[in-house]
Amino acid sequence: MTARPLTRRRFLQAMTAGAAAGPFVFTPARAQGFNWKRFQGKELFLLLTKHPFIDVLEKNIPEFESLSGMKVKWETLPEIQARQKLTVEMTANSGGIDAFFTSLHVEKKRFWKAGWYHPLNKFLDDKTLTSPDFDWNDFTPGARAGVTQPDGSISALAAFVDANVVFYRKDLFAAKSASPPKTLADLEPLVQKLHAPPATYGIVLRGLKNANATQYPSILFPMGGTYLKDGKAALDSKEQVAALELYTKLLRQYAPPGVVNFNWYECSASFMQSQVAIYMDGVNFASQFEDAAKSKVVGKVGYAVLPSGPGGHFSPIYITGMAVSTQSRSKEAAYLFAQWATNKANMVRELMAGVGVGRTSTWDSADVKAKPKMPADWYQAYQASLKIGRQGLPEIVGVTEYRDIIGVAIQKGIEGAPAAQVLAQAQKEFQDLLNRTES
Amino acid sequence: MRSSFTHRHAPWLFPAPAVALVAVIIVYPIAYTGWMSLHEWFASSLARPRFIGLGNYARILLGDPRFREAVVRTIYFTVLAVAAETVLGVAMALLFNREFWGRGLLRTLAILPMVATPTAIALVFVMMYHPTLGVANYLLTVVGLSGFRWTYSSQTALYAIAVVDVWQWTPLIMLIALAGLASLPREPYEAAHLDGASTWQAFWHITLPLLRPTIVVAILFRAIDALKTFDVIFVMTQGGPANATETINLLLFNQAFSYFNMGYASSMAVALFALVMGASLILIKARRTAAW
Repeated sequence: MTARPLTRRRFLQAMTAGAAAGPFVFTPARAQGFNWKRFQGKELFLLLTKHPFIDVLEKNIPEFESLSGMKVKWETLPEIQARQKLTVEMTANSGGIDAFFTSLHVEKKRFWKAGWYHPLNKFLDDKTLTSPDFDWNDFTPGARAGVTQPDGSISALAAFVDANVVFYRKDLFAAKSASPPKTLADLEPLVQKLHAPPATYGIVLRGLKNANATQYPSILFPMGGTYLKDGKAALDSKEQVAALELYTKLLRQYAPPGVVNFNWYECSASFMQSQVAIYMDGVNFASQFEDAAKSKVVGKVGYAVLPSGPGGHFSPIYITGMAVSTQSRSKEAAYLFAQWATNKANMVRELMAGVGVGRTSTWDSADVKAKPKMPADWYQAYQASLKIGRQGLPEIVGVTEYRDIIGVAIQKGIEGAPAAQVLAQAQKEFQDLLNRTES
Repeated sequence: MRSSFTHRHAPWLFPAPAVALVAVIIVYPIAYTGWMSLHEWFASSLARPRFIGLGNYARILLGDPRFREAVVRTIYFTVLAVAAETVLGVAMALLFNREFWGRGLLRTLAILPMVATPTAIALVFVMMYHPTLGVANYLLTVVGLSGFRWTYSSQTALYAIAVVDVWQWTPLIMLIALAGLASLPREPYEAAHLDGASTWQAFWHITLPLLRPTIVVAILFRAIDALKTFDVIFVMTQGGPANATETINLLLFNQAFSYFNMGYASSMAVALFALVMGASLILIKARRTAAW
C-alpha cells in the first residue's frame, strides 16, 4: 500500500523550489489562510492512552492552548481501558470525545468499519486548515500506509512508530568474535555459539500468547510468510511452518526457562539482568537498557536491524496515531490538535526523549544530534528499520482474536508440539474468524 | 381512611422499595444478559444486534472446543482447590479448637491471607514463581530439589494457581468449621469416652457427622467462588500458557472485552450461571439428606 499523491505534495515541492512556481500554486500569501486561532474559545475533549508518546505530549498541551486559544481537557487511561471506554462512548453515540489516540495495529480496521474515524483527506488538502509546514510527505511511506485505509481514506495522523530491531550484547559478541545476524540462516548458529546457561542464554523473544504475535513477524516476514493470501487465511503455508519452527526452536532450546509465558516485561528484565545475549523486540524498550537504575547492561548493548531471509528484508512496524472522532461536534478544531501533536517540532521533542517517530525530517534534526539520548547505532537501526517497515499484524477487524489464535499456536510449539500441526489448527480458527468478521 | 389502605396493603408496601431495587440491580441485568445471549452482536459494529435464537448456545455446546475445554478446566480447578481447602481447613480448625499457648495469635495469623487483596497476592506469587529469579525455585534448590516451571508451563500452571487459591481460602473453611466445632454438644463425647472410644473413633463417628452440615456450607461458599475465579488467574497467566488456565470466566471476558462478541459472551455468562446454580443446588441437597 502506498500513499496516494496529494495535491499538497506538489505544492510543497513548488514552495521549496521557490516562488517562481507561483502561478499554479498558492503564493506565500496563502499561508495567511491558515490560522491556529481560528477556533479560539472552543473546548476540546481528548481520550488519550498511557504511552511514552503521550507522556511527552501531555506536558506541552498548555502550549497548544495558548497557540490556539482553545481549552483542552483530556483523560489518559491504560490502553485496554481506553479502548473499552471509547467503545462504550462511541456505541452510545455520546459525541463527548473530539480526538483520540489510537493503536492502529489493533483498531485500524475495526474502528474504520464502525465508522469512528473521521477521514482526514479533505482536511489535509484544505490549505486553511493545514499549516504550510505540516508536510504530510515528511512521514515515512510505512507510517503513511499505516494510517491509510483500503479505500484511501486517512484515519489518523501517525504519532509513534514502533519497529522491531535486534538488541545484542556487544561484550559477549566481542568475546566470541561474533557480529549481529545478517540473515535468518545466521541466527541459530549464532545463538547456539552464545548460549552458555545458566549464566547466559542465547536468545529471548516473547512467548506469552497474544504478546508474541507482534514479535513472530520478525521471523515470519523474512521467511516469506504472510497472514492472508487472496483474502483467505494463510497460516498453514510452508513459509509459516518454517517460521514457527524456527521461532519456537530458538525459544525451546536457547531461551531462559519459562519463556513460554514471557511478555516484553520478563524478556527485557532478563536482558537487563545480563542473562541473555540477543533480544529482539520493539525499538522503544531500549531506553531502559541505558538506564543505570534499572539495567546491568548499560553501554554494553548494540542495536541492529533485523536479519533478512529468503522472503526479503522487513521490519514489522506498529503505528499509533491521533484520530478525529466522527461523532465530534468540532471536528475541524480537533484536527488542529491532531495536527499540532504530530507536527515537526513535537516529533523532534519525542525523538529526543527516545520515543520513535515516523517523520524523516526528525532524523537530521540538529537538536537530536546535539543531545542524543540513545547511542548512535540505535538511531541507525531505527531509521534503517523504518525504511523496510511493513505493518506487523494483519489489517483485519478481529486483530485481538487473531493474536490469541497464533499466540496459542506459538506457545504449543514452544512446548514441543509440531509446527505443522498447531498451524493447521490455527488456520482453521483464523479462517473461521475471517468468515465471521470480514464478510 | 388512608391508614386502613396502608394497613391492608402493608405486606406489599413495605418490601416494595427493596423489591424494586433488587429488580433493577439484579434481575434486570440477568434478564438482559439472557436476552443478549440470543443475539449476534459485535460491540463496535454499525450493525444492530441480530436475533439468532439459540444459535450461540448451539455454538458453545457443539462447535467451540475452546469453551468445552474451559468448562472441564473450571470444574477440575474447583474440585481440586476446594477439596484441598476442605481437608486442610477442617484439620486447621481441629488444631485451633484445642487450648494451647499462643492460639489467639496463630489463629489471627492464619486468617491473614483471606484478608489480602487477590490482585496483590497474584502479583506477589507471579514474582515468587519466576523460574530463574523467583524465590520458590530458590527454596526448592536449597532443599536439594530441582526447580518447577510453576505458571510458566502448560503442564503445571493450573496447579500453581490452585496452590494460590488454597493458600488464600483455606482459612475461610477453617473459620466456618471452627464455628461449627464450638457449637457441638459435649454429651456424645462424654458417652463415647465412657464406652472406651479412641480419639480417632470419636472424631470419625461423632465430630465429622455432627460437623457435616457446617462443612457442606463451607464447601458451598468456596465452590461458588472457585467456579467464578477470575482476578488471580487474569493477573498471573491471562489464561495461558496455551490456554492451560483459561476458565469459563477468562474465556467470556476475552470474548466480551477483547473480541467484543457481546452476544456470544452473554451466552457463556448464562452457561456459567447455570453451572454455578447447578453446583449449588446439588450441595444444598447434599446438606439436607441424612447420609453422605
